Amino acid sequence: MSFFKERNCYLKNYNLSFIDKIKRFNYKYLFLICSVVFIGIGILYSAANGHWQPWASRQFLRFLLSLGVLIFVSFVNLRIWMKYAYWIYGIGILLLIGVALFGHVGMGAQRWLNLGFINLQPSEVMKIALILALSKYFHSSSLSDIHSIQYMIPPALMMILPVSLILMQPDLGTALMLVFATGAIFFVVGVQVWKFLIVLITVSGCIPILWSFLHDYQKQRVLTFLNPENDPLGAGYHIMQSKITLGSGGLFGKGFMESTQSRLNFLPEKQTDFIFTVLSEEFGFFGSASLICLYLIIILYGFYISFRCNSFFGKVLAIGLTVNFALYVFINIGMVMGLLPVVGVPLPLVSYGGTAMMTLFLGFGLIQSVYINRDMVIGRRGSIEDE
Amino acid sequence: MSTPWKYERIRILNKRVLALIGIFVLLISVLIFRLFYLQIIEGDKYRQLAEKNRTAIRLTLPTRGVIYDRNGVRLAENHKKFQAVLIREETKNYQRTLDNFRKIIPLDDEEIHRIAKEIKHKRAFMPIRIKDNLTFKEAALLQMNATDLIGLHIEEETTRLYPLKADASHVVGYVSLLSDKDMEQDPDNPLLDLPGYRIGRIGIEESLQDRLKGKPGIRKTEINAYGRSVRILEEEKPSKGENITLTIDSRLQKFATKRMGEDAGAVVVLDIYTGEILTMVSTPSFDSNVFTMPIPTKVWRNIIDNEKKPLQNKAINGMYSPGSIFKLVVALAGLESGYITPQRKIFCSGRLQLGNQYFHCWKRYGHEHLTIEEALMYSCDVYFYQVAQEIGVEKILEVAQRLGFGEETSLMLTGEKNGLLPSPLWKKSHHKDNWRMGDTLNLSIGQGFLTATPIQMARAVAQIANGGKKLNMTLIKDSNIQRASAYLGFNQKHIQIVKNGMDMVVNKKGGTAYKVQFDMNGQKMAGKTASTQVRRISMKERHSGVISQDKLPWKYRDHGMFAAFAPIAKPRFAIVVVVEHGGGGSSSAAPIASDIMQEVLRLYPSENSIKKDK
Repeated sequence: MSFFKERNCYLKNYNLSFIDKIKRFNYKYLFLICSVVFIGIGILYSAANGHWQPWASRQFLRFLLSLGVLIFVSFVNLRIWMKYAYWIYGIGILLLIGVALFGHVGMGAQRWLNLGFINLQPSEVMKIALILALSKYFHSSSLSDIHSIQYMIPPALMMILPVSLILMQPDLGTALMLVFATGAIFFVVGVQVWKFLIVLITVSGCIPILWSFLHDYQKQRVLTFLNPENDPLGAGYHIMQSKITLGSGGLFGKGFMESTQSRLNFLPEKQTDFIFTVLSEEFGFFGSASLICLYLIIILYGFYISFRCNSFFGKVLAIGLTVNFALYVFINIGMVMGLLPVVGVPLPLVSYGGTAMMTLFLGFGLIQSVYINRDMVIGRRGSIEDE
Repeated sequence: MSTPWKYERIRILNKRVLALIGIFVLLISVLIFRLFYLQIIEGDKYRQLAEKNRTAIRLTLPTRGVIYDRNGVRLAENHKKFQAVLIREETKNYQRTLDNFRKIIPLDDEEIHRIAKEIKHKRAFMPIRIKDNLTFKEAALLQMNATDLIGLHIEEETTRLYPLKADASHVVGYVSLLSDKDMEQDPDNPLLDLPGYRIGRIGIEESLQDRLKGKPGIRKTEINAYGRSVRILEEEKPSKGENITLTIDSRLQKFATKRMGEDAGAVVVLDIYTGEILTMVSTPSFDSNVFTMPIPTKVWRNIIDNEKKPLQNKAINGMYSPGSIFKLVVALAGLESGYITPQRKIFCSGRLQLGNQYFHCWKRYGHEHLTIEEALMYSCDVYFYQVAQEIGVEKILEVAQRLGFGEETSLMLTGEKNGLLPSPLWKKSHHKDNWRMGDTLNLSIGQGFLTATPIQMARAVAQIANGGKKLNMTLIKDSNIQRASAYLGFNQKHIQIVKNGMDMVVNKKGGTAYKVQFDMNGQKMAGKTASTQVRRISMKERHSGVISQDKLPWKYRDHGMFAAFAPIAKPRFAIVVVVEHGGGGSSSAAPIASDIMQEVLRLYPSENSIKKDK
């Protein structure tokens, strides 16, 4: 009986009822995500020396808003997302152009677009839009398509266009994330490994040329990253203090709200990109390693969902979004540990900031949608095909 | 259902996702390993760096010990003064506060310049000194106008105060702010960086610096990234320096300074049994209080350019030929050698011929026949030439050495000079010349190479007065006073003869200091005058008549000296007065010494004697 019901759903999954959707929703996954958010709110509370203001309370409100977005997105039929994938991508591109023309400058870069009610960061939206578009593109492609170079030109352009616009802002971190996410999608859909190697070799050959295109502050960041002790009061200050904050946590940390580095403001802007160090200082190796493991579980869960999904679009979408999330984790933590240059990537779900949280929840909503519609069969053009 | 190409690409996708998972797990491992490395392996290093980041150790100034005189009068004390500081961040308009301040207390250009400089260099929360040395009245006035002076704070400041001002400045010394040289000498001492830290410079302030200074407090504060103190983590209160009581009697000190008047010179009064210095005066003096603050250049120049050298403590640093005072030593040496007996008379013709050279007596036509006591009384030069010629230089040096000539005293004051007790060996090494009889004759009347400090002369006289006991002089009042007990090995009869001679100098008509004799209820003084030449009298001048002292320029006049003890019957105190270029000892130094000694005896009548001789 139950098999029959399943079967019924499988055949008529485009008609999943609201109750079905609630039933098929992955609550474990949501729970994992929310626990990271709550850990983050706790750290923000501590970073403000035990005050809800100015960060923790606002982060909580953003969480509630984002949660609404997640639920809404996950309840939208996956086929709808596929249908409008290119449109969403197009809107993303238009927003990026809008930023280039009308965006307002903050912290040396033009990243925000004031839409009247919200300060939107289109480059964040673009991360989702590009993954959606690429997922749609590869949904109907065969391996022989993918192995042909001409077939790979449009998706490559799909990536290059927003990356160039984002580099102009300039925002190296986000641009690199787009490149890596696209690379990961190319990899999973089956692009031959030797092609990656060729690109890799070509790019390393071009590094001297690229270097000349970098802004001075970007060059400085890379140089400082290579040797932070060189300039301990200037550009290296961030990395040095970040390492001190992190390292001084030891095995068990100084205890909740007992951080000294953070409380005494040795780390500027600790509530955003360097929030991981506050956690490390207060909860030590155990605390920070636990958070990293939690991230790993969320990442693996994302891949699990892609395995469970039937449609190729859903698979690629879940993989792309999971990779995107993983890139946040690797780049941010690598950056605060001094493994990577400081490129301005927040710690996902923890760092204070509205757009990043909203985008991430949008992504998780899409993954949930993939999970809810995991048994759906999507045809070449997004319709139900009886093949 | 699905076509094979779909299965194929899903197979590839699954394989690739597994590879991706492998890469991600690897990356996570790298992160965790790095975390382990930073937090566990290098954790201690970063913990220390974090601790260094957040803590600042600040020292707090200890209170310096108070210096008292023997009667509990304060010679150096701590005085609270007030200073006004501005903390800029507390006011929106610090310029307004400054302007209002200037309406109450004017600032000169130099100060305004300094304040402007500090405003430029210091962070907004760091206090900027607007004006220090404010009186209580000024501080109160500022407090009353506090509403117009937002951001202004009145801070208490401790400064050193010397109530006796110039009267005891050489012996008490002073404290002053540090110079760059002091900083260089002890660069690791964090105390030296403290604003307002002062160290002892001369006198007791310097020699007992370690006992007076106290122990600084330590305040460990937590600071934030901008260097602001957030809270106190640990605090150790400073401990006050030790209070010191000196043997000085401030009443005598004042009296002696006043009595010296405009004269340059030194006065030393001491207890001949305990060696306690009751008075140590060097004139002209300076006000110790001036040095505790940065000194205006003009004041400094005045002090430096004064030919009477106010900064020099002449009592320990001035080296003078002891002149006739040294005849006491030669007399004792003559007696000890057996050449002189109380009855033996020696003839003075006014000069003594040595080869083709004449050694003159101060009295042109001589003293005729003299006993040893008379020779001292008249201060006959030829008598002592004769004695010296007979007993030889070695005997004189031996006695002089026993009485402490050429030897530093135990006062431990910086700047003390040893004087010079010349010897044949010394002359050989310093002048590449043999010791001649002429040198011996010069030595016998305390001239020539011989020099001594007033404190050394005082010790010698005191040791004669106390019956030939070794005296350790001290400036610090100690509860267990060491009375002189070790004899220097002189025959008591010989000492008595010398003392008799000193008695006659003052109390017998014709004695060189007869004019200054006194009798306070039977208490009399015995002494010895000395006038020492600071220039050579040429043969030509001697023939045409020696130029009268008051006709010579000040710096060519003789030094006048007087060494004495009192009372004669039961000696208790010794005194030495040196008046630089005062002319004769009997006319310049003796009257001063007499007045001071009378004051000593008035202040310490015999029934309340500090120490009675057993």
